[in-house]
Amino acid sequence: MFVARSIAADHKDLIHDVSYDFHGRRMATCSSDQSVKVWDKSENGEWHCTASWKTHSGSVWRVTWAHPEFGQVLASCSFDRTAAVWEEIVGESNDKQRGLSHWIKRTTLVDSRTSVTDVKFAPKHMGLMLTTCSADGVVRIYEAPDVMNLSQWSLQHEISCKLSCSCISWNPSSSRAHPPMFAVGSDDSNVTYGGKVQIYEYNENTRKYGKAETLMTVTDAVHDIAFAPNLGRSFHVLAIATKDVRIFKLVPMRKESTSTGPTKFEVQIVAQFDNHNSQVWRVSWNITSTLLASSGDDGCVRLWKANYMDNWKCTGILKGDGSPLTGSSGQPSAMSTVLGSSVQSSQNALNGMSAGSCLLTSVLDSH
Amino acid sequence: MSGSKPDILWSPHHPDRYVICDSELGLYRIGPVGSAEAKAGTLPLSEETAATLLAINSDTPYMKCVAWYPKHEPECLLAVGQANGRVVLTSLGQSHNSACKELVGKEFVPKHARQCNTLAWNPVDSNLLAAGLDKHRADFSVLIWDISSKLSPETSVAAEKIRLSSVDLDSSTVVTKPLYELGQNDACLSLCWLLRDPKLLLAGMHRNLAIFDLRNTSQKTFVNTKAIQGVTVDPHFHDRVASFFEGQVAIWDLRKFEKPVLTLTEQPKPLTKVAWCPTRTGLLATLTRDSNIIRLYDMQHTPTPIGDETEPTIIERSVQPCESQIGSFAWHPSSQNRMVVVSATNRVMTDFTVFERISLAWSSTTSLMWACGRHLYECVEDSAEGVESMIEKDIATKMRERAQSRYGHDTVQVWRNHLLAGGKDAQLKSLWHDLFYILSVSHMKQCAEDMELKLQGNVQSVVYSGIKNIVKTTSGTTESRRCWIGSDRQTDVLRYHSEERCLALRLCGWISRGTDTDVENFLRSLEQEHEWERAAAVALFNLDIRRAIQILNKGAMAEKGDLNLNVVAMALSGYTDEKSSLWREMCSSLRLQLKNPYLCIMFAFLTSEPGAYDGVLYESSVAVRDRVAFACMFLNDAQLPRYIDRLTLEMKEAGNLEGILLTGLTKDGVDLMESYVDRTGDVQTASFCMLKGSPGEVLKDPRVQCWIENYRNLLDAWRFWHKRAEFDIHRGKLDPSSKPLAQVFVSCNFCGKSISYSCSTIPHQGRGFSQYGVSGSPTKSKVTSCPGCRKPLPRCALCLMNMGTPVSNCQGTGKSDEKVDLTRENKLAQFNNWFTWCHNCRHGGHAGHMLSWFRDHTECPVSACTCKCMQLDTTGNLVPSDSS
Repeated sequence: MFVARSIAADHKDLIHDVSYDFHGRRMATCSSDQSVKVWDKSENGEWHCTASWKTHSGSVWRVTWAHPEFGQVLASCSFDRTAAVWEEIVGESNDKQRGLSHWIKRTTLVDSRTSVTDVKFAPKHMGLMLTTCSADGVVRIYEAPDVMNLSQWSLQHEISCKLSCSCISWNPSSSRAHPPMFAVGSDDSNVTYGGKVQIYEYNENTRKYGKAETLMTVTDAVHDIAFAPNLGRSFHVLAIATKDVRIFKLVPMRKESTSTGPTKFEVQIVAQFDNHNSQVWRVSWNITSTLLASSGDDGCVRLWKANYMDNWKCTGILKGDGSPLTGSSGQPSAMSTVLGSSVQSSQNALNGMSAGSCLLTSVLDSH
Repeated sequence: MSGSKPDILWSPHHPDRYVICDSELGLYRIGPVGSAEAKAGTLPLSEETAATLLAINSDTPYMKCVAWYPKHEPECLLAVGQANGRVVLTSLGQSHNSACKELVGKEFVPKHARQCNTLAWNPVDSNLLAAGLDKHRADFSVLIWDISSKLSPETSVAAEKIRLSSVDLDSSTVVTKPLYELGQNDACLSLCWLLRDPKLLLAGMHRNLAIFDLRNTSQKTFVNTKAIQGVTVDPHFHDRVASFFEGQVAIWDLRKFEKPVLTLTEQPKPLTKVAWCPTRTGLLATLTRDSNIIRLYDMQHTPTPIGDETEPTIIERSVQPCESQIGSFAWHPSSQNRMVVVSATNRVMTDFTVFERISLAWSSTTSLMWACGRHLYECVEDSAEGVESMIEKDIATKMRERAQSRYGHDTVQVWRNHLLAGGKDAQLKSLWHDLFYILSVSHMKQCAEDMELKLQGNVQSVVYSGIKNIVKTTSGTTESRRCWIGSDRQTDVLRYHSEERCLALRLCGWISRGTDTDVENFLRSLEQEHEWERAAAVALFNLDIRRAIQILNKGAMAEKGDLNLNVVAMALSGYTDEKSSLWREMCSSLRLQLKNPYLCIMFAFLTSEPGAYDGVLYESSVAVRDRVAFACMFLNDAQLPRYIDRLTLEMKEAGNLEGILLTGLTKDGVDLMESYVDRTGDVQTASFCMLKGSPGEVLKDPRVQCWIENYRNLLDAWRFWHKRAEFDIHRGKLDPSSKPLAQVFVSCNFCGKSISYSCSTIPHQGRGFSQYGVSGSPTKSKVTSCPGCRKPLPRCALCLMNMGTPVSNCQGTGKSDEKVDLTRENKLAQFNNWFTWCHNCRHGGHAGHMLSWFRDHTECPVSACTCKCMQLDTTGNLVPSDSS
């Protein structure tokens, strides 16, 4: 059961991204108003904005945290064709008293010729590495060789994906059995260009990233992509936001010790849901990758969960403005159980899934 | 408006009213569905709203365009442009005040009749109404009428016109003299008044866009373009204008009017309407002919006249408000991103809101944050009890709760760990009991070995390797045919005995010690747990029908006369081994209707042929341990390994933890655990379980290491640092190789040697601060000098004593409560003696002194040092969320 409450964000324009830090005690938001805000959670659970500053000269698309072992570090990317790395520094004592912190720009990455659409830090076991992807279809991987000096970043890899890139996701698995791997999605809407999700893998011998897989069945524009936290599982799970929510499973095939090529995967589609009617914008996994949240053109946030048979189901719907979702019964209430009927019609019949009952709850805090 | 193509206009002042115009004008009011006002005849527009028809006006035929009077009074005044070029003022609904009455019916007639294409009220000087007409030789095509003008004095001219017109008109209401005449020798297709200056009128002429200035009508600014249809000014950005031609939209900046600042991607069909969203900056909606989607262009960038090199960001979106083809749409003037859509035919209307793109993120503690528009919403898993029964909690939540209840840490009564996990999960219960039996048997064996001077080789590893490997090496199996206890009737049931089978039964928990037929202890414990059916089945399999019946009777009594148990007891008592008896026949057919699997297998056992016990062995709702124990008793040396192998494979594939009994903590067990983790993500159970295994094989498995690392990472992310540290200690006991090395050594300034007496003093993790435990040093001696060169150690920056001197409470602070706190907390007082220093400025002192200093100060206590030692590490300021 989930309960929603509103937080006064005070951004002057659309918020494009929300990102939690490793511990979930800090949060960053970025917006078309060209600023990034950092929020800290107090002991009583309230969020306080402790920093807000202009980061770019265009809409800021994404913001992301580095692992805290590298310090308090953020990266942002923007329509202004740049990505930037920010570090929190010890502020003046009166700042601290007012509950404000100070962030300074450590570097600006200016290699892209077009809008930088996504920025992500690589899993921490790879060191301090940052990846960007841009509308011209190039993925760039930067590395800070000295983690104490965040103004030095060297461009390690430049990978051309041929298609305008919209999103990128690292495989978070730290297992030695899995070489570094990321997936990149394209928002190119031309279905004839084929698969819009490409998976790249690091090759130890060539020291380069090579394409391991293209998901040929995803032909529509992809808006978001998310590898599930692996948690020691023997396979990888990838959620894709395109015209529907899709969940793919990538099972690495047993590799002969002699072969040096990229890992071959058995790609299975685990679930496909078109409940959002038309476009899905974002997907996000919880820490154990047992819950998936998605948002779409219907203005709702939906929660998905698999049962023990690996059948995914909708377990909750929340309206984007936090207000209760009124079913056809028309009785808005703080807590109501809507039986499948309203969702079932559009529920995908894949794997013989049935919609079942969706528990939905949402309470608007009069904030 | 030809009759087929409708249009919609929102009332400028009533947020709940709009007009649909096709062949007539229809005024609608929109309201919540099912409200008190709703009567029969309302049309549903969405799940929440419905429309009521308030008025119809069909007085004006040949409508081509309509415009709503922009001012409050008179309300519901509409200008209608007709096919013959006339503009008629009309009204909808009731309550005409005098001003309105005067205006309604007024007609404005051009010199030459031709189609009126567009109408636009001046938003400020609302007497001015601009009309755009088709071309007629050298005549003007943009006429600006003053609706307040007195009726034309030249009635003769008007009378002339009347003859031309088809409708007979009252000449007293006809105006023929426009205030301004513009656009000579041209056609006008679209018009709009510029918001930055109400004297400026933008017109889409035949081949150009022209801006007319009413203060100087002889001049116009113009630009040649084809995109002359549907000119419209962005209400949020008064220099931005959109117009279109065929499938292409052009966006203009009036400050650099020479060419469009932007042309949007061409659409395959001609556009019919383009409209800026009045409630949101830079959102443009477009509609093409014969389409059921509305395409939205979200312009994220404020255009600047100079910034040529940055083109605006455009996010393209398509929305589908309804299934049918859309005739027209109109943005709601004040409701956020809302529009009403009318279908191309049948006047089907839909109330529709364009939602913002929501971005979202999960936190490590399972709360969900999302951003919708400019707002943030946080959603947390509510721990309301009522619903929990309906939806199982997520494994992330479960693991957090289990970590807090010290799940996995009970190393003595290992089986109790399933209670720490909540005690509801049957698989976990089975797993921890398995581990308990394995550990206790191996412990017993070890003791026995010690006494017997290790006669048997490596029993321990056999025990760890599970029943699958134990029964593989059967030798010296004996058969016995025994009597039913308490009767001398011979059974034809063969029972097998061997040392290995006996060991297996112990692992199953059926017997603890003594002979392999003594299950009385086990039965008693089952009775205590009220597992009557299971106890009865176990008794029966040990050929003690009388005991089974006794258990069932006891159960029936305890469960307040459970009829089922009594009936079963009765049926049991009638047992006969005659092959063709009625009892047998009835039992084998009726047993399938018994709900309890144990009752079911009791009859399966009694009615089956000796040696063919499939009804018992493949009853999947019976616990694996009971089935395995049964198999060890009644399957022969050929059948048993086959059955066990098959069951093991089944368990491995399903990731069923009950199978750990069969696989033990071997590579097989890791395989099984892998499929359990694949299925559930429960790395916590996997980590704790595998830690119990023999360090040599299992713990070295990269998968096991991976689970352990992932579990530790989870604990860190939840800030369960104490739990993680406890886990590491627990792990270090069982797997000494996992112990980390000491991380910090302090070397003497003079001789460079480590000042520790022993390198094995407690290491401490930390980024900014490190400690040297004086009181914890192994020799317990006072150290105020380097053990190597006897030079004094550094002084505390506050008390100026050499390190190693016992700390005294600061007198300066004078906080009495603090002192009380320190004396009471003996442990803390010891910590106060620790020497700490800042890695940044390398000043330091006794921990207690430093803490009390930084309670009131932010800068280092050493003079002229401005280091903000305490704020250097943000993680250091986080509080572990599991400290008690």
